[in-house]
Amino acid sequence: MPSFLPYLYHTLFPPTVRYPDILLIDFGLIMAGIGLLGFMTKTRRWGWLWREWLTTVDHKKIAVMYLIAAIVMLFRGGIDAEMLRAQLALPTTKFMPAAQYDEVFTTHGTIMIFFMAMPFIFALFNAVVPLMIGARDVAFPRINAMSYWLFAFGAILFNISFVIGGSPNAGWTAYPPYTGLAFNPGPGENYYFLALIIAGMGTTMTGVNFLVTTVRMRAPGMTLMRMPMFVWSTMITSALILFAFPPLTVALAMSLFDRLFGSSFFTLTRGGMPMMYVNLFWLFGHPEVYILVIPLFGVFSEVVSTFSKKQLFGYPVMVVSMLAIMFLSYGTWVHHFFTMGAGPAVNAFFGLSTMLIAIPTGVKIFNWIFTMWGGRIQLTVAMLYQLAFIPTFVIGGASGVMLAVVPADYQFHNSYFLIAHFHNVIIGGTLFGLLSGLYYWWPKMFGMKLNERQGKVAFWLFFIGFWITFTPQYLLGLKGMTRRLYTYPIGMGWHELNVISTFGALIMGAAFVALVYNIVWSLLYGEKDLTGDPWNGRTLEWALPSPVPEYNFARIPVVHERDAWWAMKQRGQSLADLKPEDVRDVEMPRNTPIPFLLGASFFVVGFGMTFKFWPIAIMGFVGVILCILFSGFDYEDHHHLKADVIRSTEASLGRLQG
Amino acid sequence: MSQVEQPLTIDEAYNQDNDRALKFLRPRFHEEKFPTIQILGYIGSLILTFGAYFLVMDHVLPPVSLLAVILALAVMQGALQIGVFMHVREGRGLAWQIVPLYLVFLIAMGMVGMSIWIMLFKSGVS
Ligand code: HEM
Ligand SMILES: [Cu+2]
Repeated sequence: MPSFLPYLYHTLFPPTVRYPDILLIDFGLIMAGIGLLGFMTKTRRWGWLWREWLTTVDHKKIAVMYLIAAIVMLFRGGIDAEMLRAQLALPTTKFMPAAQYDEVFTTHGTIMIFFMAMPFIFALFNAVVPLMIGARDVAFPRINAMSYWLFAFGAILFNISFVIGGSPNAGWTAYPPYTGLAFNPGPGENYYFLALIIAGMGTTMTGVNFLVTTVRMRAPGMTLMRMPMFVWSTMITSALILFAFPPLTVALAMSLFDRLFGSSFFTLTRGGMPMMYVNLFWLFGHPEVYILVIPLFGVFSEVVSTFSKKQLFGYPVMVVSMLAIMFLSYGTWVHHFFTMGAGPAVNAFFGLSTMLIAIPTGVKIFNWIFTMWGGRIQLTVAMLYQLAFIPTFVIGGASGVMLAVVPADYQFHNSYFLIAHFHNVIIGGTLFGLLSGLYYWWPKMFGMKLNERQGKVAFWLFFIGFWITFTPQYLLGLKGMTRRLYTYPIGMGWHELNVISTFGALIMGAAFVALVYNIVWSLLYGEKDLTGDPWNGRTLEWALPSPVPEYNFARIPVVHERDAWWAMKQRGQSLADLKPEDVRDVEMPRNTPIPFLLGASFFVVGFGMTFKFWPIAIMGFVGVILCILFSGFDYEDHHHLKADVIRSTEASLGRLQG
Repeated sequence: MSQVEQPLTIDEAYNQDNDRALKFLRPRFHEEKFPTIQILGYIGSLILTFGAYFLVMDHVLPPVSLLAVILALAVMQGALQIGVFMHVREGRGLAWQIVPLYLVFLIAMGMVGMSIWIMLFKSGVS
C-alpha cells in the first residue's frame, strides 16, 4: 500500500467527521446517489439533463435551478436549526458535543444567508424581471448562467465539508482570531472562505447583470417611473450587491491568505489587526441585510396591489424611500460592533444613522397599509404572507432600534435578544416575502397553481411556529443568555423558555414539511393555469401564457403607463391578438457548456486549496483559464429563432389571429 | 454617410420590433483589431499592484509616507481600471458617466474614509 494513502485518509476523514450521525448520513447519501445514478441511466435522462438544464442560458430555467437549490438548502439549514434547538432544550445532555455544536451553528447561519436566501431571491429575479420589463432575456445570459454555476459549485463545496475534512466552526461571521491558523488548524475555515469567494463572484456578476438588465432592457415606453416596484427593488438590490460584495471578497481573501500563505493581515502577531476584519465584514454585512430584504419589499408591493385590486399607494414615495434605505444602509455598519469601543463620537454617529433607517422603512409600511385601505382584499396564500409580514417586520424593526441605542446595546449585544431581532426581520421579512413571491409567481413559472388550502396550512404553521420560537428568545436575551452557547445550568431560569422555543422550532419544521408536500402535490395534481393570468394581475408577466415560451414576447410590447397589463386590460387590449406578419425572427442566446465547466473548475480550485493539494488546485486554475479563453473567442453565442417557429408556437397557444 | 439619421420614435421602433433602432440610446464603441490598450493597461495594473506589495514588504519608506504612497497608487489603479477596462469614454459619452462616477466616489470615499475614522482609536492603543 502506498504510504500516502493513510495520510490522505486522515486528512479527508479526520475524527471530526466520524460521529455516528454523520456516518449514518454518509451512508444515506451514498445510497441516494447510487439510486439517482441508476434512475437517470435507466430512464436515459443524462442527455436531457445536459441539453435542457446544465447548458441552458434561459433565465426561466436558471430560475428553476436556483429555486431547487434554495429549497434543498432550506432543508439543510433547517435540519441544522432543529439540531441546535434540540441541544438547547436538553442542555445537560451531550446531544451534540461542543465542537459539533459550533460547526452546526456556523453552517446554519452561512447556509441560510448565502445559500438559501440569496439564491431564492435570484430565483425570483430570474423568473420574472425580464418578463416584467418586456425583455427576451437578461442583458448577459451567459454571465447569468456563470453566476448560477459559481453559486451552485460554491454551495456544493461548502456542503461537502461535513463529510470530508470537517465543517467550519467560527460562526457565519468568521471573525479572527477564531479563524486564525494557530487556533483553528483544520480545513473547515478554508472551506468557508473559498466557498464564499466562489459563490460571491457569482453574486457580484448577478448584481451587474440585473443592474444592466433593468437599466437597459426595458420595453419601449417603460420609463423609470413606470417600472413595476419589483423591478425597482431589483435595480436597487443589484446596486447594493455591486458595492457590498467587494469588501467581503477582500476580507475573505485576506483571511485565506493568513491561513494558507502565512500573511498576517488579521493575526495578532506581526502587526495584524483583527478588528479590521470586523470592520470590512460589516461594511458588507449591513448592506447585505438590506440585499436580503429589499427584493421582498418589491414582492410585497406587487402582491399587495394585485390582491387589493388597487394601484400601489404612493408609488413615488415608495421609490424614494427605497433609495433612501439604499444610501443610508451604507452608513450604519458600526452598529454591529459598538462594543469594540471605537469611542463615543463614532458610536453616536452610527447609532443615529441606524435609527434614521427606520423612517423610510416606516413610510413603506404605511404605503402598504394604505394600498389595502378600501381595496377588495383577497386572502390568497401570497396575501396572507404579506399580512403576516407587516406586524412581524414592524416588531423586528422596533427591536432593531432598541439595539441601535448604544448604551443599551452594550447589554443586548450578542445575546439572544439580538438573535430574536434578526430572525424577526429575516424570517418575517425575507422568508415570508420569498414564500409570498413563490405562491404568487409559481403559476407563471410552472403553469399550475400551488394548492391554496395546503398552502394555508403551511402558512399558519410557519407564522405560529415563528412566534413561539422567537418570542421566548427576546426574554432569554434580557435574562442574559448569550448566543452560541451549547449548554447552561438548569437553575438559571432559562430552561423553560428554551423548551418553549424548541417546541416552536418543531412547528416550523412541520411547516416546512407541509410546504414541500404542497409543492409536490401541486406538481402532480395542481390546478392548471390556462389563462396565464390567474390572479388578474397588473404587470406584464401576466400578459404571457404560463409557462412562458422560450422567447417570452413574440412581439415586444409598448408601455404607456404604470401597471401596464392592467391598463391594457382596461382598454380591452391584449398581447394575444398577434397578426402573423407581425412576427419576426428573434435573436436568442445559444446554450453553452462553458458556465457549467467554469463552475466545476472553480470547485476543483476550491477543493485543492482547502486541503493544500496544490497540483489539484493548479489543474482547476488551468480549467478556469481555458473556460474564460474559450468563452472570449466564442463568437457563435446566439442563434436566430425563425419567425415560423414562433408563429406555430403562438398559434398552438391560441394567441395568433387568422 | 452625410445624411443625418433621425432617431425613430417609440412607435416606429415598435413597428419594426427593433429597440436598437432607438438611435438616441444606441451606444458607441471603439472597435480595434488588437486590444493594445487593454494589454498595456493590464501590465500597468500589475506594476501598480506589485509596486505596493514590495513597498510594504521591503520597508523602504517610513510609515506615514508609505501610507501616502500606497493611497496614491490605489487612486492610480482605480483610474486605470475605470478608464481602460470599464471603457469610461465609450458608450453614450462621458456625460452619461459623470453621475454614476460621482456616486461611486461618494460611496467609495465614504467607506474608506469612515473606516479610517473608525479604526483611528487603535492608534492610541498599539
Ligand atoms: C429598522 C431597521 C433595523 C435596525 C434599526 C437594525 C438594527 C440592528 C442592530 C443595532 C444590530 C446589532 C446588534 C448587536 O450586534 O448588538 C442588528 C443586528 C442584525 N440585524 Fe438588524 N436592524 C434593522 C433591520 C434589519 C433587517 C431588515 C435585517 C435583515 C433582513 C436585519 C438583520 C440583522 C442581522 C442578521 C443582525 C445580526 C448579525 C449577527 O451579529 O450575526 N436587521 N440590527
Ligand atoms: Cu446592521
